[in-house]
Amino acid sequence: MPASLTGHTRESLTTWLTERIALYLKRQPSEIDAAVPLAEYGLDSVAAFGLCGDIEEDFDFVLEPTAAWDYPTVHALADHLIAEFAAAEGGAS
Amino acid sequence: MLTGSLPQGAPEAPATGQETRVTARVAELEKRLGDPTDEKNPVSYARLLEADEAGEISEAGERVLDEAVLNADFVPREHGGRLERIDTLVRVMRQVFRRDVTLGLGYGVTSFMAGVNVWTAGSAEQRERLARILLDGGKVSVAYHELAHGNDFVRNEFAAKDAPGGGYLLSGEKQVINNADRAAAWVLFSRTSQAPGSRSHSVVFAERAGLDAGSYRVLPRYDAVGVRGCHLSGLHFDDTPVPADALVGKTGMGVELALRAFQITRSAVPGMALGAADTSLRTVVSFALGRELYRKSVMDIPHARATLSGAFLDLLACDSLSVAATRAVHLLPDQTSVYAAATKYLVPKMLTETMHDLSIVLGARFYVREGEFGIFQKHIRDLPVLSLGHAGSAACQATIIPQLARLARRSWFAEDPAPGALFRLREDLPDIPFDKLTLASGRDALSATLVAAVEELPSSTPEERAVHGIALKMMDELRQLQEASLALSPENRTALASPATFALADRYAVLLAAASAIGVWQQARFGDDTFLADPSWLAAVLHRLARRLGQQPPDLPAAVDARLHEEVLRRFESRRSFDLYNTPLAG
Repeated sequence: MPASLTGHTRESLTTWLTERIALYLKRQPSEIDAAVPLAEYGLDSVAAFGLCGDIEEDFDFVLEPTAAWDYPTVHALADHLIAEFAAAEGGAS
Repeated sequence: MLTGSLPQGAPEAPATGQETRVTARVAELEKRLGDPTDEKNPVSYARLLEADEAGEISEAGERVLDEAVLNADFVPREHGGRLERIDTLVRVMRQVFRRDVTLGLGYGVTSFMAGVNVWTAGSAEQRERLARILLDGGKVSVAYHELAHGNDFVRNEFAAKDAPGGGYLLSGEKQVINNADRAAAWVLFSRTSQAPGSRSHSVVFAERAGLDAGSYRVLPRYDAVGVRGCHLSGLHFDDTPVPADALVGKTGMGVELALRAFQITRSAVPGMALGAADTSLRTVVSFALGRELYRKSVMDIPHARATLSGAFLDLLACDSLSVAATRAVHLLPDQTSVYAAATKYLVPKMLTETMHDLSIVLGARFYVREGEFGIFQKHIRDLPVLSLGHAGSAACQATIIPQLARLARRSWFAEDPAPGALFRLREDLPDIPFDKLTLASGRDALSATLVAAVEELPSSTPEERAVHGIALKMMDELRQLQEASLALSPENRTALASPATFALADRYAVLLAAASAIGVWQQARFGDDTFLADPSWLAAVLHRLARRLGQQPPDLPAAVDARLHEEVLRRFESRRSFDLYNTPLAG
């Protein structure tokens, strides 16, 4: 079990996601509202796959490529990651 | 089997059911279509040019294809049709495209593109109904496009709204839709939720029969530069009711379904259109042999001769990538996303450049709309529709770009090479696994074929050493691509990436074409086709691709040039196609 899955909170993941998405969109993190759908900011369907790839890279956790479609805001995605990480840890123990 | 002692290639297997069927089908179509240079033939180039001048699709051509029940080739065998493989469908359709892109597209290929959505996610009843429509000779349109949104189709506005009593109300416009006016059914990409994002669209299969005729209309035809006979128009719906069972798959599945279907159609269509470039090469060879300049035939002018050999190499390179991508649908369905995008990006681009090169040899004749060489100017106008319709070049690059970093991290230089079967042109394949296509997988066995080849390739003859040397440079290029992809900043991992990132996608597509050609040769090496077994063509294809990448590979052994020229002449004189299949032609 990668250590990287432990110790995350909704707040820490929200921060990580907001910063990453701001880079994608060439905006300031403060401009990204965690409750607004990412597509509203112009993150297209295929670029959302790239976001899942980044999550995989930083957290060593393989996510469905469509996760960012099904959990379309920063908050929804953060909650989904918390649940997925917890499930993975539970499965491993 | 001897495969144990010959790890890089298997002896050619005897023709099996699938190969027998496709060879017979290709020959049947060619026979029905007849000699294209015989002006008395109603589907000759001369008559097809007349139809084009009149802005009509050839009636005689459509009749021949009706008689051949070409639509059966778009229907899987389990539903009573002939469709069993994507690479064999390409070979069949190539016969139509080599004669007339308008017929290929207008008769046909959009019915196939529409169908893929239904075969992938439709109910048993929808699949049955679609099979019936097609086998009865009906056409089906695929309506993704809205001009305002281009390839950014997630912003599409055409809606299927919930109807009060169940079912949907169709509302809005679709534009530049092939056969919209005469299709028996339309596959409509429709908004089913006002929320932004990729879960707000669904696919609707609407049959014309039974629709409220007062609530929809067909929009006027577009007048286009090429494929002038195609019925490109649009549809306007004003709350037209369709039943609930018109929905294909689940609500919100539209984008996913479109991206899956694209993996099949983007792999397939470029290889079909390769037939038009094949004819163009044949046309220019005929010109070069017949015309005298400076007391020599044009064919004896070194520049002209090199251009014709180069066009032949482009066809072989494009066909190699097309074969790998279409067979990957069956063998590597989890990896097809990038291969399909690379094929749809690179093949139309290369073929367009090939046509330009050929036009220079043809000189002023290229500008003449009729007569012996008139088909050339028609093909040169028709071919670009390939990169415009369906998915633009940049949209294909934008599919590859977000996947580069993941491929670089997970797959390149770590993956096992693709199975040899990926490159065995005539070998049977399992059914099309519509449900196994993956949106993005981060795996790429095709480039691993290139890496593995550097260790495996022989180097006893000068031609083999040339192949090996270039393959080594290509592998270095893949290494550089990996480093550059790992270094991509997040803002360069979307459709809004820098031009330099788009260039990476271009280089990657070229590397995949090189890997495909190497794979094809490795499998053909011990086969019956003496030209494909000879490393000369591979050396020359790799040389051309390397130069495309800006490399400066050493000159090839002189015998290579002679070998290619001889093959161009042999295929011209014996009426054989200029692709990997060396297919007998009617003329």
